[in-house]
Amino acid sequence: MKPRRPLAPAPPVAGRLLDAQLHLLDRQVLDNDGVPVTTVDDLELSGPALDLELAPGTPAPVLTALLTGPVLGTRIFGGRPPSSRLIRIPWKDVSDVGVVLKLGVSGEHLDAGWVERWIRDKIIARIPGGRHDPR
Amino acid sequence: MKRLLGVALGILTAIGGFVDIGDLVTNAVVGSRFGLSLVWVVGVGVLGICLFANMSGRVAAASGRATFEVIRERLGPRAGLANLSASFLINLMTVTAEIGGVALALQLASSVHYLLWIPVAALAVWLVVWRVKFSIMENVTGLLGLTLIVFAVALFLLKPDWGSLAGQALAPAVPAEETVPTYWYYAIALFGAAMTPYEVFFFSSGAVEEGWSIRDLVQSRVNVLVGFPLGGLLSVAIAGCAAVVLLPAGIAVTSLSQVVLPVAEGGGKVGLAFVLVGLVAATFGAALETTLSSGYTLAQFFGWSWGKFRRPAQAARFHLAMIICLFIGLAVLATGVDPVLVTEYSVVFSAIALPLTYLPILIVANDPQYMGQHVNGRPVNVLAMVYLVIILAASLAAIPLMIVTGAGS
Amino acid sequence: MILGDLLGVDVHDDGGARLGRVADARFVVDGGPGQLLAEARLLGLVVSPHSAASFLGYERTGLRQPWPLPSIFRWRHRGSFLVLWEDILMIGSSGVRLREGFTAYSPALD
Repeated sequence: MKPRRPLAPAPPVAGRLLDAQLHLLDRQVLDNDGVPVTTVDDLELSGPALDLELAPGTPAPVLTALLTGPVLGTRIFGGRPPSSRLIRIPWKDVSDVGVVLKLGVSGEHLDAGWVERWIRDKIIARIPGGRHDPR
Repeated sequence: MKRLLGVALGILTAIGGFVDIGDLVTNAVVGSRFGLSLVWVVGVGVLGICLFANMSGRVAAASGRATFEVIRERLGPRAGLANLSASFLINLMTVTAEIGGVALALQLASSVHYLLWIPVAALAVWLVVWRVKFSIMENVTGLLGLTLIVFAVALFLLKPDWGSLAGQALAPAVPAEETVPTYWYYAIALFGAAMTPYEVFFFSSGAVEEGWSIRDLVQSRVNVLVGFPLGGLLSVAIAGCAAVVLLPAGIAVTSLSQVVLPVAEGGGKVGLAFVLVGLVAATFGAALETTLSSGYTLAQFFGWSWGKFRRPAQAARFHLAMIICLFIGLAVLATGVDPVLVTEYSVVFSAIALPLTYLPILIVANDPQYMGQHVNGRPVNVLAMVYLVIILAASLAAIPLMIVTGAGS
Repeated sequence: MILGDLLGVDVHDDGGARLGRVADARFVVDGGPGQLLAEARLLGLVVSPHSAASFLGYERTGLRQPWPLPSIFRWRHRGSFLVLWEDILMIGSSGVRLREGFTAYSPALD
């Protein structure tokens, strides 16, 4: 093996760098009230077209959405759910990326919260004391 | 003054909350078979749980993230799911064992068969989880659990030969009737009982429940560093009582009534009354902690809303998961399986699952992104790495030893 | 496309020689201003010759504690490099192909 030279540092860019594995995937997502919505189970990109040679100058794809739902199962066990079954949280709703991802919107109306709402409305809220504030 | 009271309360709760059915049974079994020759393992285990509980509390206070969120984020979905499956199953076993323990303790107190007490115990656990404020739950069960100090009192009243007890503890040797693999099998069981992963899940989630900030860390550190070792001394007293009364009589502990036998002998009826209150409180408290922990682990892995500080309707999946866990525990107990046996297995399986839980905590406690300036100091890291090696060794040795010894029989 | 489909696939140079696997995707938040946060554009891919598994956050940061874990994880990711989007010729279901004369940059984040 040839001796390894230290690699040149990447050209500087203006914005903040986010590595998907390090900063995005598997992090908790909170809504604008700090209530957990889900975790980032996967990410969706705007492109590129698969198996096609990219012409020089093709604009880079951007993150369009955080994904959750069945995609977690396929990420662990392989395969992938049909696009129609992906639950998306649009990137434009993300307001901050730190140890958690914060949304600028309420979780109440997101698709990602439907199971929680269903269990709340059909089961938990119907048990006496289900809406009792413990504090 | 108020602050001092808070510290005192915290310490007392930590002592009372330290002992659960796993500690009770394992220490009594070990005491009745090995005397005090395994006491050193309790010491090793207590230091370990102090180290990692404190670390998980610091991560939670500095970043607001509880342990299983950290596990998922660092290990990724696959290894995280493996850890979740193992931790959750062990937790479920422990929930089952604790509810069974409450029922057995109530049977001792009332002479009503324990199977009749099981639904009562499970319902009571659910009501507290559903309704009672977190801090009240913690303090009441912790303080009532303090009555287990009667084990220490009974040990004194039994007027043992202190020299021989100290000899067993300080110069550990495998008793003639036992084999070396059995000795090490029980060493791992004691270690697992002291370091059960649910304690860090509960501790770190509790820090989020109570909204700790970095300013509260001093108090939490005192609670852990004083409370847990004193709780460990309680464990030793349990083993000591068994070593003094049961070992010479040739009784190997297989039931909860044998665990309290030495207290009845040393402390009489009053002692018995105290120990029964202590048993119910300790197992009930631990049943609450483990039930909540199963909810915490699931919710934190999948990113659900969780916490007793929220209305149940605002943490619907969390509460539903706990209800289901309690039903599973009930179903298992309804088969008539011996809760003491479930306990003995759960502590050994705990030891197996330890590395996947403690490694991510250690890594994140060093990550400035989470911790800011509150990253681990070098001495803590050195000690933690030593423990990681011990934990890994115990985890790898547990299954082979279980097979070789026929689970310690 | 889904990022999960990209992570872990093989990376080849233009001649078809295998260079490693996609270990991570790097984004830069500098696109057109969105509603709350600017758009996150794909800056490039981190390619690792030995392992595409994530290594608990040690691989691209200056973390040094607790010894010896960082050294072990870094060793597993030795030889990994960042390749910019401009140097990617094709992203396919079977792998990623780089352009002729691509530049391998250091994957370090700080």
